[in-house]
Amino acid sequence: MQRVNLSLKEKNKIPLEAETLTPDAFAGKTEEEIKALSVWYGNEKRLLGDFFKVEVQGCAKPEETKILIKGDLSRVKRIGQGMTAGEIEIYGNVDMHCGSNMEGGKITINGDADSWLGCEMKGGEILLKGNAGYYVGSGYRGEACGMKGGKITINGNTKDYLGEHMCGGEILVKGDTGLLPAISNNGGTIIIEGSATMPASEMKKGTVIIKGKVSDFLPSFFEEGCEELEGLVYRKFTGDVNVGGKGVLLISEGSLKTEAKKKK
Amino acid sequence: MSEILIKNASVCDPFQGIDCEKMDLCIRNGKIVESVSSKAKVIDAKGRLTLAGGFDGHTHSAGKINVGRFMNPNDARRNPVPGLSGKVARTEKTRAQVGYNTPNTYAIGYRYAKLGYTTICEAAMPPLSARHTHEEFKEIPILDKMGLTLLGSNWQVMEYIRDKEPEKLAAYVAWALKASRGYGIKIVNPGGGEAWGWGRNVSGLYDPVPNFEVTPAEILIELGKANEKLNLPHSVHVHCNNLGHPGNYETTLETMKLFEKIKPSQERQSLHVTHVQFNAYAGTSWRDFETGAPMVSDYINQAKHLTFDMGQLIFGPAVTMTADGPVEYANSRMLHEKWSNQDVELEDASGVVPLSYSPKSFVNAVQWAIGLELALLVKDPWKVMFTTDSPNGGSFVNYPEVVTYLMSAKKREEVYSGFSELALGKMVLPEIDRELSFSELAVMTRAIQSKMYGRPEKGKLTIGADADIAIYELVPEKIDPSVEHEKVKQAFSATAYTFKDGKLVVKEGNIEASPMGKTYWVNADVPERVDSAMQKDLELKFKKYYTVSKSNYMVEDEYLPNPVEITTKGDF
Repeated sequence: MQRVNLSLKEKNKIPLEAETLTPDAFAGKTEEEIKALSVWYGNEKRLLGDFFKVEVQGCAKPEETKILIKGDLSRVKRIGQGMTAGEIEIYGNVDMHCGSNMEGGKITINGDADSWLGCEMKGGEILLKGNAGYYVGSGYRGEACGMKGGKITINGNTKDYLGEHMCGGEILVKGDTGLLPAISNNGGTIIIEGSATMPASEMKKGTVIIKGKVSDFLPSFFEEGCEELEGLVYRKFTGDVNVGGKGVLLISEGSLKTEAKKKK
Repeated sequence: MSEILIKNASVCDPFQGIDCEKMDLCIRNGKIVESVSSKAKVIDAKGRLTLAGGFDGHTHSAGKINVGRFMNPNDARRNPVPGLSGKVARTEKTRAQVGYNTPNTYAIGYRYAKLGYTTICEAAMPPLSARHTHEEFKEIPILDKMGLTLLGSNWQVMEYIRDKEPEKLAAYVAWALKASRGYGIKIVNPGGGEAWGWGRNVSGLYDPVPNFEVTPAEILIELGKANEKLNLPHSVHVHCNNLGHPGNYETTLETMKLFEKIKPSQERQSLHVTHVQFNAYAGTSWRDFETGAPMVSDYINQAKHLTFDMGQLIFGPAVTMTADGPVEYANSRMLHEKWSNQDVELEDASGVVPLSYSPKSFVNAVQWAIGLELALLVKDPWKVMFTTDSPNGGSFVNYPEVVTYLMSAKKREEVYSGFSELALGKMVLPEIDRELSFSELAVMTRAIQSKMYGRPEKGKLTIGADADIAIYELVPEKIDPSVEHEKVKQAFSATAYTFKDGKLVVKEGNIEASPMGKTYWVNADVPERVDSAMQKDLELKFKKYYTVSKSNYMVEDEYLPNPVEITTKGDF
């Protein structure tokens, strides 16, 4: 087991691109070696040790490496990007792209996360205790697939475009979501316990479950009766017919006033 | 006065018949000279392969590629060929680089230079968009550039052909080259660009263009004649009708035969047929699709009037971009891909569709084989130009990979051994054991271009030629490319030295300097009486149809920071 404790020395104003902040990069390294890892500070290449106090206990493989980060990381981007194993536990808010392209391991954030959380992740788990920004689990610009595997759990709320272009994996949001959650879903599972506006547009495949209030429900879905799931009754819709989609959208009974077209 | 002496170079220069012989090269003031003084800087090539700078005669590197860039922001992150793709931070000597199929302009310059290339020819430039093409040229460092002017679906061209006005046609071509600061005539799916404006296409050489009553065959032959009348350095550069359709090899052969009767005005081909891989398909549908390369290469082997380029396919992501609007529409519908479509007013159409070629697809596998079959079945390398129609068949950064396909039958077998039985039954590649020598490769990658484009200072290492030189990290007599293809690929991926106009631009695969290259354009002289008659018709076109005025249409000299004007005199 290797434990690495990091604490941010002073809150930075210029963003820090810290894609080296992963168990993969830290595993088997000493305190000095970790401090010497490079980070981008604006357009300057700097050392991790310039910004963080570092403490290391033990020496192990990435799977057995746990990183604890403290401080206001709301201007530290790309924490845990592309990590394949191990664990990161964060006490504080994080900036954009946290856990993007992640393949394994776990990130726990005791705070809020900015946009692009867990984008294009392929495996592993992200647990966010606070709120998230835009594009959680999405694909980056131009990409056909966002999240392909793994799980993101958000205890708070998210902003717009949750899980855009998702091709697999699972996202659970316990709070509310913004505009167009699950847009262009292509095989992922999204569960929203709170509210959603215009969900699942252009969905081709996958499942979207909404327990809270749905606003501006889109007319491009067929209604296919009811379905019971874990003791709750949902109205079942399939679509989005605009793209010939076969995705399933379950909306808790009573949270939707609109009448959708019945399939003949 | 800067002088360099390159010692112990293993020179391969097909023009002089030098095949990997040890010699010294002397450079003074950007040219290759007989001898240099004792003050010259000495570089020891240590017996490594030394060729003239590469010349990519058909690439989409400025202009339409920009549509590809904004349609594919994800391409910026792609890095399938490490060292030649992906994101690279700026250094003291280079600007930041991104992308793979549609890299930023700086990356295009740096990466070509790393591959030992020093000249590129942008394959399609509608006069109306020429300004933009030149703006991109300005930002592509190191390389010398030229652009081919699109004229195959142009209203003025088709009207003059219909009205049998060959003199005015030639005058218009000369004016269009001048207006776009272009180098030669490009014809894409003749007539098809105009038909696409009506949601249609032309089905073959004798299918008339809607509203113009001219056929693609007439467009081809009349532009071919105008090309020779104006004594242009390059021949017409043709993308045939029916591109990408099974059975299109017949149209390709018809097109080639049309030009048998055109007499070239100088010592070069009278027709260049481009990316023939996409135009050498047999069969009647995608189900019974198969190679048409044997038929096409049989014809080319006995023909003396033409050259062609491969348009080799590379497996992985590519971006198709062409003035052939209807073919791009078909691509996007068939592959459920993003589609960009453009109508270039009176001049042509265009489309961009990103796609991905997979060895598991039987069609893609056969396409891959066709490019190589063409290059290997045509016996004379002086008819074959090496291209991937970058980035249509795949990005130019894969050239080292294509080199290994051509030089090693073993390498080809490694690739096609992964194909399905179905695919293998539709190609003839496994029966071909020809492997190219370095000398033949030098012909296809630099020497033929010098001849084809009438640029005697390029593609050779004779006295007086431009000192564009690439030294590759391999010693020809110590390597067997047939077996050690990995080493060949590595060597061709990053030169030991690239010189551009006698200036060291790449050393051990790193960019050392990025001087501004030249832009070639052709100014063909037309007698005043013909020109003024033509201008009257043209004024009317601008008044009635164009969204811009004629005075705002011409590319001004400011757009070409380093122009080289080639003047020719037309026969009127």
